[in-house]
Amino acid sequence: MLYVVLFFLLFSLLLYVLLGGADFGAGIVELFSSRENKRTTRDTIYRVMGPVWEANHIWLIILIVILWIAFPLYFNVIMIYLHVPFVLVLLGITMRGVAFIFRHYDAVVDRSQVFYNWMFRISSLITPVFLGMSFGALIGGKIILAEDYTKYTFLELYILPWFNFFTLLVGLFYAALCAFLAATLLIGETQGQVRKMFSRKSAVFTVVLVVLGLLLITYGYLEEVKFISDFINNAVSIGAVAISGLLLFPLWRAVKKQHRVVSRYLAGLQVVLVLFAALYAHFPYLIITKEQELSLLEDLPPYAVIRNLAFMLLIGGVVILPGLYHLMRSFGMIKILNTGEDEMGH
Amino acid sequence: MAAGYFLTNLSLMENLDFARLQMAFTLGFHIIFVCIGMVMPFFMVVSHKKWLNTRNPLYLELTKAWQKGVAIFFVTGAVSGTALSFELGMLWPEFMKHAGPIIGMPFSLEGAAFFVEAIALGFYLYGWNKLPEKFHWFTGIIIGLSGVASGILVVSANGWMNAPTGFDYINGEFTNIDPVQAFLNPAWFTQALHMTIAAFIATSFAVAGVHAFQVYRNKRPELHKKAFKIAIVFGAVAAFLQPLSGDLSAKDLAERQPVKLAAMEAHYETGTNVPLYIGGIVNEEEQRVSHKIEIPGALSFLAFGDFDAEVQGLRDFPQDELPPVAIVHYAFQIMVGIGTLLMLAALLYFISLRYKNLFKRKWYWLFFVCLAPLGFVAVEAGWVVTEVGRQPWIIYGIMRTSEAVTPMPGMEFSFYMYLAVYLVLALTVTWLMRRQIRVLNSVKE
Repeated sequence: MLYVVLFFLLFSLLLYVLLGGADFGAGIVELFSSRENKRTTRDTIYRVMGPVWEANHIWLIILIVILWIAFPLYFNVIMIYLHVPFVLVLLGITMRGVAFIFRHYDAVVDRSQVFYNWMFRISSLITPVFLGMSFGALIGGKIILAEDYTKYTFLELYILPWFNFFTLLVGLFYAALCAFLAATLLIGETQGQVRKMFSRKSAVFTVVLVVLGLLLITYGYLEEVKFISDFINNAVSIGAVAISGLLLFPLWRAVKKQHRVVSRYLAGLQVVLVLFAALYAHFPYLIITKEQELSLLEDLPPYAVIRNLAFMLLIGGVVILPGLYHLMRSFGMIKILNTGEDEMGH
Repeated sequence: MAAGYFLTNLSLMENLDFARLQMAFTLGFHIIFVCIGMVMPFFMVVSHKKWLNTRNPLYLELTKAWQKGVAIFFVTGAVSGTALSFELGMLWPEFMKHAGPIIGMPFSLEGAAFFVEAIALGFYLYGWNKLPEKFHWFTGIIIGLSGVASGILVVSANGWMNAPTGFDYINGEFTNIDPVQAFLNPAWFTQALHMTIAAFIATSFAVAGVHAFQVYRNKRPELHKKAFKIAIVFGAVAAFLQPLSGDLSAKDLAERQPVKLAAMEAHYETGTNVPLYIGGIVNEEEQRVSHKIEIPGALSFLAFGDFDAEVQGLRDFPQDELPPVAIVHYAFQIMVGIGTLLMLAALLYFISLRYKNLFKRKWYWLFFVCLAPLGFVAVEAGWVVTEVGRQPWIIYGIMRTSEAVTPMPGMEFSFYMYLAVYLVLALTVTWLMRRQIRVLNSVKE
C-alpha cells in the first residue's frame, strides 16, 4: 500500500512539473516574445491552456496533501525551513491565477489589460524560479535542523539555505524547463508564421536549458554539493540524462516534420528522464541537511493511515483520470476551438 | 470588535497572535469565495435549465453572466485554497505533524472532489455549442455537487479539531490511529450541515441583493427580476432550515464542548433553569454581563430540551482553558440576530409571491439590497464562534494553539503582506463584478 501512495506522490509531482510547468512556461514564452508576437502568444495560450489550466495546478494541492498525510516529517521540515520561499511561491501562484482569469474574463477590455498581462508574465517567471529554489534548498545541504532555535539567526535558519547561487541555478533551470515544455507544446497548436516563431523559441529555450543544466552540475561539483557529486557518480542517473540529451535530436526532427504528438511526447519523456535522474541517485534521501540525510520512508505514520490514503487515492484516480483525459482530449488535443475568437464573450 | 481588540494590544502581540490573525484573515477571505463558488453553480444551472425549456434569450444571457462569476470565484477560491493548504503547515507545523495523518482522509477526498469540480468547470465553460446540450447542462450540476462535497469534507476536518477522535493519546503520542473514525467525528455532521445551509443563505441573499439593486435602479428590470427570483428561492428555503440545524449544533455542543456553549452565551454561573441572554456587555475581568435581556430557562431548554436542566457555567472550568468570552458572545449574537432577520426577509419573499404588487414597490427592492452583505457577516461571525470558542486549544483538550505555532519569528511581516495582498484581491474582484454588471446592463433590449 505504501507503494500506491508513493506512486501517487511521484505521479502528481511529475504531472505538476510537466503540466504546471508547461503552464508557467507559457507565460515565460510570452514574456520573452517580441511586442508584436505577445498578442499571438497570449491568444494561443488561452486557446490551448484555458480549459485545462485549473486542473494543472491542482496537482500541487494533491502533492501537498499526500506529503502531509503520509510523510509528515518531510512536510514539517519543508514548512518550517522553507517558509519564506513558499510564501513567495504562493504569492506568485495567486497573482498568476488572478491575472489569468482577469485578462480573459474581464467584461470590459481596456487599458487594464496591460496591467493583467504584465502581472501574468512576471509571476509566470518568478513562481517556477522560487519553486526550483525551494527544491534546490532541500538537496543543497544547507538546511540546519535546529534543536534550539535561539542559537541561530533568522538569516542562518530561514534565508541562507534557500537563497544562494546553487539554489538560484536550480530555480532558473526549472524555469527554463518550463519554457522549453511550453514552446514545444505550442508549436503543435499553431500554423505558418506563428508556428515558426514557436519553433525558434523552442530551440532557444533548449539551448538555455542545456547550458543551465551543465552550469548547475559543474557548480554543484566544484562546490561539493553532495547531491550533485552522488548524481555524477551514479551510472543510471547519468545515463538517463545522456538519453534525454540524445533525445533532443529526434525531437528537433519531429518538430521540423511537424509531428505534433510525437514531439510532445518526446518533450514530456525528456522531463520524465531528468526528474527520474535527479530523484534516482538519492532516493529515498531527498532532503539533505547540513548534518544528515532524511529518508522519505522513515518515521512514517501507522499503516492504517497509509492504507486509508492509498484507497482514497485509488478511488480518486478512478474518478478523476478518465474525466481529465476526456477534458484534454476534447479541448487540448483535438483542435475545435480553432476560430481564435473569444468564445466566452457572447 | 476583534480587530479593535488586537489593534489596541498591538505592541503586546507575539508571533502566535500574528499567526492566528493571519490564519483568521485568510480563512475569512477564503470562506466567502468558496461559499459563492459552491452555491452559484446551482443558480447557473437553474437559469440554464430555464433557457433550455423556454428558449427565452434572457435566461441564456443570465446563465453566461453567472458562469463568468462562477469562474472568477472558483479561481480565486482555488488560489486562496492552495495558499491555505500551505499555510496550515507554514503557520502550524507541530499541529500538522501530528494531526495531518489523522485528518488526512477528508482532505484527500476533498482533493478528489475539487479536481472533479475543476474538470467539470472546464467542460462547462468551454463546452457551449460543442457538447451535447443535456450533457453540457449536466456538467454544471457536477460543478455544484462537487463544490458542496468539498465544503462538507473540509468542515469535517475542522470538526475533528473540535471533537478529536480516531486515536489514542498516550504520553503525548498519538497511537492507534483510525482515519475513518477521525473523519466521522461527532462534530462533523452538525457542523457540515450548518455550514452548507449557511453558504446557501449567504450566497443567495448576496446575489439576490446585487440583482435587486439593479431592479431598484431600473436597469433592465426584467432580466434582473428573473435573476433575483432564481437566487432568492434557495436562500429563503435555507433560512427556515437553519434554526433547526442551529438547534442540533447547540445540543451537540452542550454535550461535547460545554465551555464553548457557555462562552457563546456568556454564561458564568452553573445552575438549573438558566436564562438565555440576548445582547449584553461582557466584563471578562469581573465575569459578569450587564445590559442584557433575559429569557428565563431558555438556555437550559435550548441546550438540553428541559427548562430545569443544569448548564455548566464558565467559572466551573479551569481559568486557563477559557476562550475569549466577549468575542465569542458578541459574534454569536451577531450570527443569530442576522439569521433571524434573514428568516423574516424570506417570509416577506414568500408573501410577495402571493401579493405580487409588492414587486412594484421601491422599498421592497431596497430592503433586499440592504440585506446583501449580511449573510456573509453571519458566516464570518459563525466561524469566529467556532474557532475562537475552541481556544486556547487547536485540538480540543489535546494540543494548545501556542504549542502548534511555527518557531520562525517575524510573523507580523507575513501577516501584513497577506493583509495587503488579500485586500487588493478583494477590491479588484469587486471592481470586476461591477464591470460585469455594467456590461450586462448596457445591452439594449
